[in-house]
Amino acid sequence: MIDIEPLRFAWTRGGPDTLLLGRLQVDRGQTVFLHGPSGCGKSTLLGLLAGVLTPHQGRVSLLGQDWAALKAGQRDAFRSDHVGVMFQQFNLLPYLSVLDNVTLPCRFSALRRERCQAAGGPEAAAQSWLQRMGLPEALWSRRADTLSVGQQQRVAAARALMGQPELILADEPTSALDAALRQGFMDLLLQAARDAGSTLVCVSHDEQQAARFDVQWSLPALQQAGVNA
Amino acid sequence: MNKLLNIARQSAWNRRSTLVWVVVSLALATALLWTLERLRHDIRSSFSQSVSGVDLIVGARSSPVQLMLFSVFHIGSVPQSMSMDSVHKLAQHRSVSWVVPLSLGDSHRGFPVLGTTPAYFQHFAYGDKQPLALRQGAVFADTLDGLYEAVIGAEVARQTGYGLGQSITLGHGMQDHDHDHKGEQADEHADKPFKVVGILAPTGTPVDRTVHVSLQALEALHLGWVAGTPMPGGHIPADQARKFNLQPEEVTAALVGLKSRAAVFNVQRFVNLYEEEALMGVMPGVALGELWSVLGLGENALLAVSALVALVSVVSLMAVVLAGLNERRRELAVLRAVGAAPRHVLGLLTLEGLWVTCAGVVSGVLLAHAGMALATPWLQQSLGIRLQVAAPLPTQLALAGAVLLAGLLASLGPAWRAYRLSLADGLSPRV
Repeated sequence: MIDIEPLRFAWTRGGPDTLLLGRLQVDRGQTVFLHGPSGCGKSTLLGLLAGVLTPHQGRVSLLGQDWAALKAGQRDAFRSDHVGVMFQQFNLLPYLSVLDNVTLPCRFSALRRERCQAAGGPEAAAQSWLQRMGLPEALWSRRADTLSVGQQQRVAAARALMGQPELILADEPTSALDAALRQGFMDLLLQAARDAGSTLVCVSHDEQQAARFDVQWSLPALQQAGVNA
Repeated sequence: MNKLLNIARQSAWNRRSTLVWVVVSLALATALLWTLERLRHDIRSSFSQSVSGVDLIVGARSSPVQLMLFSVFHIGSVPQSMSMDSVHKLAQHRSVSWVVPLSLGDSHRGFPVLGTTPAYFQHFAYGDKQPLALRQGAVFADTLDGLYEAVIGAEVARQTGYGLGQSITLGHGMQDHDHDHKGEQADEHADKPFKVVGILAPTGTPVDRTVHVSLQALEALHLGWVAGTPMPGGHIPADQARKFNLQPEEVTAALVGLKSRAAVFNVQRFVNLYEEEALMGVMPGVALGELWSVLGLGENALLAVSALVALVSVVSLMAVVLAGLNERRRELAVLRAVGAAPRHVLGLLTLEGLWVTCAGVVSGVLLAHAGMALATPWLQQSLGIRLQVAAPLPTQLALAGAVLLAGLLASLGPAWRAYRLSLADGLSPRV
């Protein structure tokens, strides 16, 4: 599913390596907890997994496809078909309704639109995912920026799940939430990802959550392994 | 494209409070260009339509444009008149078909009074050689009985409400076009009232704003006048005037029709070389051409200024969109995260610029038409120019198209910057 061959990545060519990783593999449907101190390169790794960045050495493949072998336009198309993304906040277009925000991926990916047909079309699929994420129906037609941060994160999660992409990348999805809400949100996200059959890579500082994931990656430890390899 | 249209529309609507001012400035610029082009066209066609079938305008030597403006449009003045003898000599030229003398200088409630002969109504034409037509009544008679008779233009009748048989008095000199101060009208010729005997059909030319009387009538009005003022004790009552010799010695100008247009240079030379007084013959088309070349300078300056105004509003569109771009970096990153490619971002911003420009141009055209509809009665009244508010001219469409194109080009700048930003930012903008 995800296949990383020993790689080097530096933000500036010839500069110090930001990432130096050994071989890593993730199977389909696994959940990965990625942690480490700030600035250690977690977001960079997510960028590599999403094909936004390409390594100077080594390879990152998704579903057997080497990102670097694709042209920029093809990478964009491949990403929108197979990767769902959410950030720690400001995930939504403020001027669209909740429902329109959730159906956005289907506007850009024919594949994900097609996969929504089983649920009765993008609209119906969006409603079903919103329900799954526990967002009250009364909020669905509201403008996205009228929701609380916690509600917005649920909408963002529902959107990342639309059309069951093979990979969901979540960059600190709970760090803007109150501690009391984190547990519940993570429960919903993990369960939904398993239901969708998607692989979930989740960056988080909240190590209490780590045990609930199938795989735990500590980035400093991975880097060390990369140096030794 | 379709998936972007909706987002572009809603995104722009979300920022309407800033974008509306860009639309307003584009609308004003478009309205300015649109109106100016219409005015320019209509003034020209109005002028060119005003005289037809006249081969030469003859008058005392001065500037050809001045002579034409005064004799046909009753604008300005000419320094000197020509003698009636010369008019008779001219009429005897073998190539000349007809000569109509014109005498100007008096007015009635701001409308110019033209002294002429009944032949004027026969020969003078406008537009595409359309002759003058009477809507009511008849032309004044060329006899002593018809001495105090007047034929008024359609606009004079409309504005004053005069009907046939109305008695009017004339004032000396050209007065201001100020119809609100009827009480202040200088009725120097109140002793000799005229009767309206004919009303002309509308022509859309200065004829509509003219009061026509016979040359003899003007002569009768000025009996006992010297150098433009009444001589003390020289007053002659209306009836007695008929006993005097009322044949004028001088007129302002003469319209000349030829048997064959081919002779026009011949006759013009005859006039220009006329020995007994300094005369000149002016071909209306040539004089109009001269007028355009003078007006052209002003027109082009106006057009250039309006084009600058349009440019400024297009640049302001660019500035507003560029300034908003940093705030929208997050929005663009979200779009990227849900699968939009950088080219979609490029399209989104371009579409937005196009929306805004379209809205500006369309409201500008509507604004211009509303403005022209309001100004038309005033223009018609004071300048005799009839604005055609109906179908747009090709040049107007070209100008509107140019504004649209400029708006499109201007929105490509910010769109390109957004494209670069979204390429550099990837999925997580560093904001």
